[in-house]
Amino acid sequence: MAARPLSATKTSPPVVGPVKAPKVPRIVEEGLPHGVQALVVRHGGIPLVEFRVAFALPEGEIAKPAALTVLCHSLFAGTERRDRTGLAEALEGLGAHLGADVHEDYLVLSGSVLAANLAPFLSLVGEILTAPAYPEEEVRADAARAADEALIALSQPEVTARQALRRRMFKGHPYSTPIASPAALRRVNAGILGDLHGTLLGASAPVLALVGDMQPARATAWLQDALGRWLAHRKTAVPDLRTTPPLQPGPIELVAREGSIQSNLRLGGPAPSPTAPDWPAALLAESIAGGMFTSRITANLRERNGYTYTPHMFTSHFRAGSHLVAAADVASEVTAAALVETRYELGRIATTGVTPEELELARRHAVGRFAFQIATQSGLANTLVALAVKGTGTGYLHSHPKGLLAATKDDVDDAARRYLAPSQLVTVVVGDPRTVQGQLELVDEVVVRTS
Amino acid sequence: MERAELDNGLKVVVVPEPGATIVGVTVVYNVGFRSEPEGRTGFAHLFEHMMFQGSANVAKLEHARAVESAGGVFNGHTRADVTVYYEALPSAALELALYLEADRMAALALTEENLRNQVAVVKEEIRRNVLNRPYGGFPWIPLPAIAFRSYPNAHNGYGDFTDLEQATLADGRDFYARYYNPANAVLTVVGGCRTEDVVALAERYFGGIKRRRAPKQGPFPEPALKADRHQRAGSSLVPQPAFAIGYRTPDPIGNLDCFLAYFMLAELLASGEASRLRRRLLHQDKSSTDVAAYIGTFGDDAFMVRDPTLLQIVVHHPGRTTTEELLRAVDQEIGALAEKGPTEGELQRAVASFASTHWRHLAPVPSRSHIVGSVETVHGRADFLNELPGRLAQVTPNQVVSATEEILHQHRAVYELVPERAA
Repeated sequence: MAARPLSATKTSPPVVGPVKAPKVPRIVEEGLPHGVQALVVRHGGIPLVEFRVAFALPEGEIAKPAALTVLCHSLFAGTERRDRTGLAEALEGLGAHLGADVHEDYLVLSGSVLAANLAPFLSLVGEILTAPAYPEEEVRADAARAADEALIALSQPEVTARQALRRRMFKGHPYSTPIASPAALRRVNAGILGDLHGTLLGASAPVLALVGDMQPARATAWLQDALGRWLAHRKTAVPDLRTTPPLQPGPIELVAREGSIQSNLRLGGPAPSPTAPDWPAALLAESIAGGMFTSRITANLRERNGYTYTPHMFTSHFRAGSHLVAAADVASEVTAAALVETRYELGRIATTGVTPEELELARRHAVGRFAFQIATQSGLANTLVALAVKGTGTGYLHSHPKGLLAATKDDVDDAARRYLAPSQLVTVVVGDPRTVQGQLELVDEVVVRTS
Repeated sequence: MERAELDNGLKVVVVPEPGATIVGVTVVYNVGFRSEPEGRTGFAHLFEHMMFQGSANVAKLEHARAVESAGGVFNGHTRADVTVYYEALPSAALELALYLEADRMAALALTEENLRNQVAVVKEEIRRNVLNRPYGGFPWIPLPAIAFRSYPNAHNGYGDFTDLEQATLADGRDFYARYYNPANAVLTVVGGCRTEDVVALAERYFGGIKRRRAPKQGPFPEPALKADRHQRAGSSLVPQPAFAIGYRTPDPIGNLDCFLAYFMLAELLASGEASRLRRRLLHQDKSSTDVAAYIGTFGDDAFMVRDPTLLQIVVHHPGRTTTEELLRAVDQEIGALAEKGPTEGELQRAVASFASTHWRHLAPVPSRSHIVGSVETVHGRADFLNELPGRLAQVTPNQVVSATEEILHQHRAVYELVPERAA
């Protein structure tokens, strides 16, 4: 069958049928000793199993992240039975990877292992959690290395921008805490880590998840064998966290980065939590404004004006509150122009709403994106843990796509008005004051901060 | 994996997965920044951007609108030897993806306005990822510039601003006519699809595109270095020094067995905390912040590059130790491996660790489709991906020793980046 060249005749794209909510695999909530629950999901495809254990952080740890940052290195510095190399060799021999990361308000150990080696992998995890060594000299070296890594992170302009935005949005709240300073990191020692391990990993309520190519009942039995003893004596209550403070929009904050040839533009404000009835509508409004390639901000800033490569918008859900961010890294010369266009697009959607065509596109895209997010073992494991840490039930995996499919134009217009109005957002710019301050002062009041 | 080839030379690779609800569609063109003309550095990547700017039946932004509206995602990337376009969508949108890819293969619509717009966007991309970012472009831009001498291998694939600004529509038409033709492309479909449907739809949408001769690609001959090369550059953005060492590898396609030994060598040197260089530099000497070793341009493309390419060792350190001392420590570790060879346990662990990373990289449908398409384009058979852990398990200690001895006797390139106070 030979068709004519497409260019010879005008054709239109094939029509795609209605979009459907994704299939969600069965999630088994297994009870472990001492009231701890594990989320266990059989999910084939590749011969691996993903493992997560997460701990909601108390306010004090969020506000002072140095010890936790070093703990993420030194947790693998050895156990009572093995040194660092021995531990790494044991994990690698199983085809396993294991690491620890601090998210804004929780700590998570993430691992993956060849499915055939799940049982010995879990017993190694048990060994790390119950009998960590925190050797003094290793901790000192890890602290120094974490300090070096912090120096590198702090040199990245997007890190400066994120910290500046959080300082403005979450003033007085632990979420405004910057990454640990090199000096604070160097002060961390083995004693501090031993204590932190005891109170956080040894006594608070963990969230556990296993997702992969396995039989849930057998995997749960292995989990009990490996972690049963460690799970004893748990406080099951999640630590309190103040809700985030109301936003005070105020002037543009210009964070000085001398000689910068680009400006990092960030606008931020509150967003609904995943369980709020208006969250699906707010996500759709955000998608249309700046969250998709087909969004208004991308069409304007990138595809019409060529101001930026990277316009985007996203919402982050923290335990104590959710927030949205509109971001673009733009050439210094057009910093104010890019801000004007961004505020214009946000103001336009807040005041005049969305079109039915935009809404249908965004709805289909958002449902599709969610399907991708939970399609892989690791994506599903990350999603389950993030939900559970915030106390959001797994029912969200079903209710969220339904909410996206049900949101009406009125819902989305309301959400746009409530969350996207530029007068209700904080504006932060990281850039070279000599080039951008004058431009920005043409648009709004500016305060300059030397970072 | 199943295969077909259309009369016009388009290769079709299908990896059906019964029951999957997502489908990944990739078109890989057998051209990358190695093939861009002199005076037009960065053109292959700029042209990738132009492929999203509209074609005969799909206006600017309509490609994005069609994919996102179907519940899908899309992107593209340019490497040394391949340019890759992909979308992942609900399975029901397979036909749409093939339509969109066929339309831009058949008849791209290049306009001056869109070209100027995308030159501006690409400049912002380079400012963001290279010029305004500490360690931006390190070491993938400066290291080949000293490890190689010939233009195709040594030049900056992101492009110089003057070259990008001088790019013309005529350049675009020439590049498109030469490289963007069905006989120079591989269409890959993975996930929720049936092979016979994919082949029939490929025939329907791509079958009418005229057959043209595939352009000659390479070889890109590059004589070995006649002496060590060492370059030191200052940057006011970086807080700490870093350096990268580049060693030539065997031909990844013509000498695959030896290349795999080099690949294992890189794994043994710096993959995981028990690896030779991480133990030595991070945990024993405590002299470095990070060390990595990999083959290819970016570390994720060892099996998507042709000859010549580099095995690279990249070290970030706080500057308490000189680069020379650190280079000596690296040499000692490589020397110890050459002398005594790796242990069987060390090789077995490296293979197990690689296998789990490998399956994990292949898990997301979008990645799987573009990795399969890229490997098929460069190696001629993507089945190789499934065999890779087994092939690596067959690498012997002696082969690793040979690889190690070879790099010890090579002249190498070292690029050093050091902090410098802003003027």
